[in-house]
Amino acid sequence: MKKQFTRRAMLSMAAATAALSLAACGGNVGGGAAEGATFPSGPVTLTVGQAPGGSTDLIARAAAEGMAEKLGVAMPVVNKPGANGALATQEVAAMKADGQNLVLLNASLITITPLAVSASEAVTLDELDVIGGLSQDDYVMVASTKSGVKSVADLKKSESKLSFGTTGVGTGSQLAQALLLAQGDIKGTIVPFDSGSPALTAVMGNQVQVSTVQLGEAKPQIDAGTVVPLVVFSSERNSFLPDVPTAVEEGYDVPVSQYRAIAAPKGLSAETKTALVDALKAATARDSYKSFNESNMLSPKEISGEEVVTEWNELAAKYKKLTEQYNISLASK
Amino acid sequence: MDFFGPVLDGFGVVLDPTNLLYCLLGVAIGMLIGVLPGLGPAATIAILLPLTYGVEPVTAIIMLAGIFYGAQYGGTITSVLLRIPGEASSVVTVFDGYVLAKQGRAGTALGIAAIGSFIGGTVGIIGLTFLAPVVASFALDFGPPEYTALALLGILLVATISGGSKIKALIAAAFGLFLATVGRDIFTGAERFTFGNLSMADGIDFVPIAMGLFGVGEILYNLEERHRAASAPATVANVWPSRKDLKQASGAIGRGSVLGFFLGILPGGGATIASLAAYAVEKKRAKDPSRFGKGAIEGVAGPETANNAAATSSFIPLLTLGIPANATMAIIFGALLIQGVTPGPQLITEHPDLFWGVVNSMYIGNILLLIMSIPLVGLFVKILRIRAAILAPITALITMLGAYTIRNSMFDVMLVVLFGALGYLMKKFGFEPGPLVLAFVLGSLLESSLRRSLLVLEGDPTGFFTRPISATLLVTFVIVAVWPMIKTVLDKRKKANAVLSDPKVKEKV
Repeated sequence: MKKQFTRRAMLSMAAATAALSLAACGGNVGGGAAEGATFPSGPVTLTVGQAPGGSTDLIARAAAEGMAEKLGVAMPVVNKPGANGALATQEVAAMKADGQNLVLLNASLITITPLAVSASEAVTLDELDVIGGLSQDDYVMVASTKSGVKSVADLKKSESKLSFGTTGVGTGSQLAQALLLAQGDIKGTIVPFDSGSPALTAVMGNQVQVSTVQLGEAKPQIDAGTVVPLVVFSSERNSFLPDVPTAVEEGYDVPVSQYRAIAAPKGLSAETKTALVDALKAATARDSYKSFNESNMLSPKEISGEEVVTEWNELAAKYKKLTEQYNISLASK
Repeated sequence: MDFFGPVLDGFGVVLDPTNLLYCLLGVAIGMLIGVLPGLGPAATIAILLPLTYGVEPVTAIIMLAGIFYGAQYGGTITSVLLRIPGEASSVVTVFDGYVLAKQGRAGTALGIAAIGSFIGGTVGIIGLTFLAPVVASFALDFGPPEYTALALLGILLVATISGGSKIKALIAAAFGLFLATVGRDIFTGAERFTFGNLSMADGIDFVPIAMGLFGVGEILYNLEERHRAASAPATVANVWPSRKDLKQASGAIGRGSVLGFFLGILPGGGATIASLAAYAVEKKRAKDPSRFGKGAIEGVAGPETANNAAATSSFIPLLTLGIPANATMAIIFGALLIQGVTPGPQLITEHPDLFWGVVNSMYIGNILLLIMSIPLVGLFVKILRIRAAILAPITALITMLGAYTIRNSMFDVMLVVLFGALGYLMKKFGFEPGPLVLAFVLGSLLESSLRRSLLVLEGDPTGFFTRPISATLLVTFVIVAVWPMIKTVLDKRKKANAVLSDPKVKEKV
């Protein structure tokens, strides 16, 4: 009697376990609705190539919330981290172009990562229909308070050899910093970290003297005065950091930012694309989304899908040209 | 007085019914997902984040923090009962915990783990209350050279804690180090052992390796065993730890609390090294080290206390410096930003109610967890009465689901199967999976820290010895590595002397 009870309890526990896990991974079902059904025919899945909780993931969730409301179906966010997002992007690009599967793109995957990895792994926009742009996330170069460095000019004057932390190979942080050092003829050792947080921590402890990280991460420390902002890499001054000069103002040709956009597999029907574009517009118009951008120091860049393709391809070409001109290789150092 | 005012106000914040409810909700969810390997606190918090948008910042963070430390409690259960450690910091719990369960003492193991977790957590909170600003800078003093020395020390401890053959442990650990090199080189972007597969670009995740080697390997091995002799299901003798068990574990709990608290402050790998160090310390201190790996209660008490103390102290860098120490803290960092609170050095002065509210909620949360886990121990140990024919498929299902939820990818499920087969073969040939898994975890820390150090030190290895913390750690490393050899020599000499002196004694008589 008792044994049987236990067994039943175990089975229901296992069932609950399974249900919870399925719910947690977003229930990536639906999709396979009847042929010719109108869009959307079930939940629309938004795949993110980064781990849950990072800035890319949070942006995806903020956008998905509003899009789901406009489309009238659930919009689960599914994280498939791997290879800077290349894994998720290639997977979605190979899916059916029915609008039921979308991917959140990081511009760096298209514009910068190809400079660091082999051609076969590089991702292009050719296999995707871009729905629209989302926002711009700026990089800021910060110095430790102990280093005594307060500006780019100080970097040039520095007698001792400085170490420069980056957030990893093939990132905007690495590219922006490498270009600035090359153009300014500044000597230093590049030290890659696993992500932004350890690179910033290392500057706070003066383990490295300078790091380039995303503004959202650095802002609390800049406000507290534990690190000194030197320069931002956007082409115009950042509204969250109005007193810090841009690299362009300082005379360097280094316009590097992170941009994000939403895309679908290539070949969407005109109606489906319109529905998705409208949903995205409705999502970005919401007050909750706007305040999300504000609190995460993101500048809105809600441009059309066509503009995204043009701008990103131009940036990719520009970065390629600049790295060749200054003889920078992102992969070797 | 200035100090205690805000602290007491913090208790006022916590005792607000809404906050108490969210605290309970958080720890209950945390405990549940802790039981499920794979779906970690980081992913859970990211998914539940929208739920917190509508509530007060302090309420939101109380709940999210509850999920995090609640998960540490839950993680023990699968380690002890099913031999599947959900995260790196509970790998060492498996060594003695699972053996205890097989001996019918699962209740003792889980009970001691719950009590140890409670004490470790509470010591962590007391430390957080009184020492947070003082010890916070500790995290900043740890640069690449210090992490290199710490990882080296950790790998050495891996070698000393394994029970069986030293050579086999070394071989397993070497293989673990090799697995840690798989993936895109984070310094050059070069592909290493990925065979052009993008799923391997970020290397192999800890979860499929641990699930496969420990969980699935054990299932396969047991299947074979049952063909030889029908082993009776383990009898569950005493559900509660006896007074003797408690007395035996009390020292381990005390030492684990302190070790866990200090190592937990370090961002990246602190909790894992804490649990490892706690186990190694207990084994070194024991009168009879051979009991370890065969069901020593201190082997569960030490690491379980340490990983909970570490989980608590990992809030220190976030709340005092604004540095997230691990993936979960990074999401809580994001949650604070969304709430309009900037996590950083000014948090304590600008938002004392939030800081003390969250800190004090942990006292309550830990008590809630203890109250919840004690009756659950009685329930969970009954799992062991289930016939293997039913329990094995359920365990397999949990491991597969766990692996799938990491990245929603079938590739990781395939890896579990692969490592399951490897785990089976290892067990058959007398290799332990522990050294492999732990070396794997520490291997990437060692490699990246060493290469980063050499960049910072401009290729000059003497730099490791001119920095006080890394020098101390390296000297400790040398002592721990060399001491057994010296001891053997001394023992031999003593024996030789004894043999020499013996005849003289006889002559005199």
